[in-house]
Amino acid sequence: MSRVSVVIPVKDGERYLGELLDALAREGVDEVLVIDSGSRDESLAIARTAGVELLEIPSAEFGHGRTRNLGAERTSGELICFLTQDATPCPGWLAAHRDALGLHARVGAAFGPHLPRPDTSPAIARELAQHFAGFAPDAAPTLHDGPGAPAFLSNVNACYRRACWEQIRFRDVAYAEDQAFGADLLAAGWAKAYHPGAAVLHAHDYGALEFMRRYFDEYRGLYATTGHVEQFGPVRALRTVRAETAADLRWMRAQGSPPAARVRWAPHAVVHHGGRRVFSALGSRAERLPGPVRERLSLEGRADTGAPAPTEANPDTAPPRARHVKPRDDDRFAAAGEVLREGAAALLEPLPEMAEQERLRLALVVPPWRRGSGGHMTLFQLLSRLERRGHVCSVWVHDAIGELDHTWPAVLRRQVNDWFVPFAGPVFKGFADWHGADVAIATGWQTVHPTLLLDGCRARAYVVNDHEPEFFATSTEERLAEDTYRHGIHCIAASPWLRDLVAERYGAPADAFQLGVDHDVYRPRATIPRRRDTVVYYARHSTERRAVPFGLMALAELHRRRPDTRIVLFGTDRPPATPFPYEHLGVLSPPQLAALYGEATIGLCLSLTNFSLMPKEMLACGLPCVELAGVSAESIFGADGGPLALAPLDPLALAGAMERLLDDEHEWQRRSHAGVDFVASHTWERATDEVEAGLRHALRERERSAAA
Amino acid sequence: MSTSSTESDQQQEIGRLRARVAVLEHELLEQAQRTARIVADAQERTYWLDRWHLDLNALMQRRGASEARSLVRLVRGAARAAKRVKRALLRG
Repeated sequence: MSRVSVVIPVKDGERYLGELLDALAREGVDEVLVIDSGSRDESLAIARTAGVELLEIPSAEFGHGRTRNLGAERTSGELICFLTQDATPCPGWLAAHRDALGLHARVGAAFGPHLPRPDTSPAIARELAQHFAGFAPDAAPTLHDGPGAPAFLSNVNACYRRACWEQIRFRDVAYAEDQAFGADLLAAGWAKAYHPGAAVLHAHDYGALEFMRRYFDEYRGLYATTGHVEQFGPVRALRTVRAETAADLRWMRAQGSPPAARVRWAPHAVVHHGGRRVFSALGSRAERLPGPVRERLSLEGRADTGAPAPTEANPDTAPPRARHVKPRDDDRFAAAGEVLREGAAALLEPLPEMAEQERLRLALVVPPWRRGSGGHMTLFQLLSRLERRGHVCSVWVHDAIGELDHTWPAVLRRQVNDWFVPFAGPVFKGFADWHGADVAIATGWQTVHPTLLLDGCRARAYVVNDHEPEFFATSTEERLAEDTYRHGIHCIAASPWLRDLVAERYGAPADAFQLGVDHDVYRPRATIPRRRDTVVYYARHSTERRAVPFGLMALAELHRRRPDTRIVLFGTDRPPATPFPYEHLGVLSPPQLAALYGEATIGLCLSLTNFSLMPKEMLACGLPCVELAGVSAESIFGADGGPLALAPLDPLALAGAMERLLDDEHEWQRRSHAGVDFVASHTWERATDEVEAGLRHALRERERSAAA
Repeated sequence: MSTSSTESDQQQEIGRLRARVAVLEHELLEQAQRTARIVADAQERTYWLDRWHLDLNALMQRRGASEARSLVRLVRGAARAAKRVKRALLRG
């Protein structure tokens, strides 16, 4: 039969140490080692009287893992039992541990239940009973083996096979060395066992505040060893306290406690469970607390974070402390990851002449929006008109980072109608109710990968509002935005420049459409007197591609040359700092914008990427506009810019272009009339024609590729 | 003769199948249209519930909800009975 050694770390443990050692003698263990770390009570005398081996160490050298390793090294049994100084083995304890370790040769450790002592508080007694009952629902020994097995192990009462301890050893952690051993043991291919007969009488007998401080220590240790962070929220905590208190009272009734005892316990239960919630949450976040606060909250009076400290004897070999992190997807890139791993979902087989069907099922996949979002306005203008043409349209919001967690679908639908345009179809949040479409339409780089994963589609299209890789510095976002053009999705780009760019640089099949203007709103107004001294500037500095610093430099130069020029900035809530005085209008509604364009002399609106809608709306109001040359405007207005006054990205050149329009009324008149004439044909109906043609083109391409 | 007859049969069969697919596609589109309309109508009706984050099914499963509903029914029944009596008295 295997020799059994028992190791008991002790500090001021006189209360139960005597009965513990008596019980071990009764159980017939072969060797007992008491390791005392500075007791000031009768513990040493009790150990000497019992005749067990005694090892004294300075209290500063004590460590839950370190000292137990020392105990195991100083003993010789093939089985090593660890008990705490207040755990008294019940009759049959040792035989049960032997049984448990005999379940299988790979069982490296066994543990048994902690039974409450008669004076244990109901909360602890219930918790112990229910906790250990969970390991053996049918009261038989159980084996914990393989992935998914519980890592729980308790050195209050555990027995280890020496070979297993030698391979794993306890980590030098301030707390929860047993939990860490349990996890390490399973990871190393060992198994462990629970035996309900290997019981000890054990209970911590603390006051309410001491319990709370002990929970702080426990959860600080648990975080340090397993990375567990106790969740906390006021409502959740209240619910838990209510449920735990009710469970205590039910348990007391089942144990035959009289009603008066239950009533007396109820307020204690609230304090105990409430304190536990708070202190366990604090303990698992101890790293964030200042040292003196940690020291005050700790029952052991320790100010450390729970991380192991390098020992003097071995300062360089202490392993770096790792934080265990539970698996969690980064939702921003989850869809892209799946596409890169699994590829896109297969498209449905094409039907003959499906591109010519009068009505199509169109699903628009969009990122979350805000009031005033120009890109979304374009998309919904198009979708609203496609819907009016008889297509069955739906909107699917892809919310990767939970921006809309508190906005439910009916509210989103109302926002589309209130903030953008009338839309009669449904709006879905996420793809749980996805039911297929003739064409699934991605609309921004972050929607493309989710769209590629949608099944039940005959074709996919991509309404490209801008060259979005340019929105990012060199980064994952930039590379994934580039990737969106490389999946063969048919692009419908918001300018010929953008169409050519995605086709030439990425080889994407592409059509173009011209952004439309709402001519009911944006038109010349004879009722508004036109000023001759006003420059209005779309100074949306939060949008980097708008090159606002350049625009402000140009206006500063204009102000230097013409101090009397009135400068008006709009498009942002926060007025930018400038070296010149100006009037700030903030974010304006379309009618307000139309009135502003009707009054002003020159509009300034810059884009470092695709041409935007705003200059067209200025032109539609008879307002000549200054834009950047050499980017994208020429693809719409021709090489000379037509009605637009083009200037390179240079403050002096931009200021010069504005100055010429302010000084030369004839030139101003020419450009004003030319602008109105030019954009007259740029309607949303025309844009919808072009987008609809692009969607049908996508279906035709699908037919062709399937035939090939 | 028999070859051309077979080809003709095949063409007719293809024609029939295409017509059938067209009919089914039309039915699918109509069904999608109806479904979209029903969902959109439901979203229109539930706007304020969604706005206030009220899930009535979850609410009615909470403790006391069915008792509250019974109470409302009781009060409503009493009010209706009172109205009936009032109408009867006025007629009489």
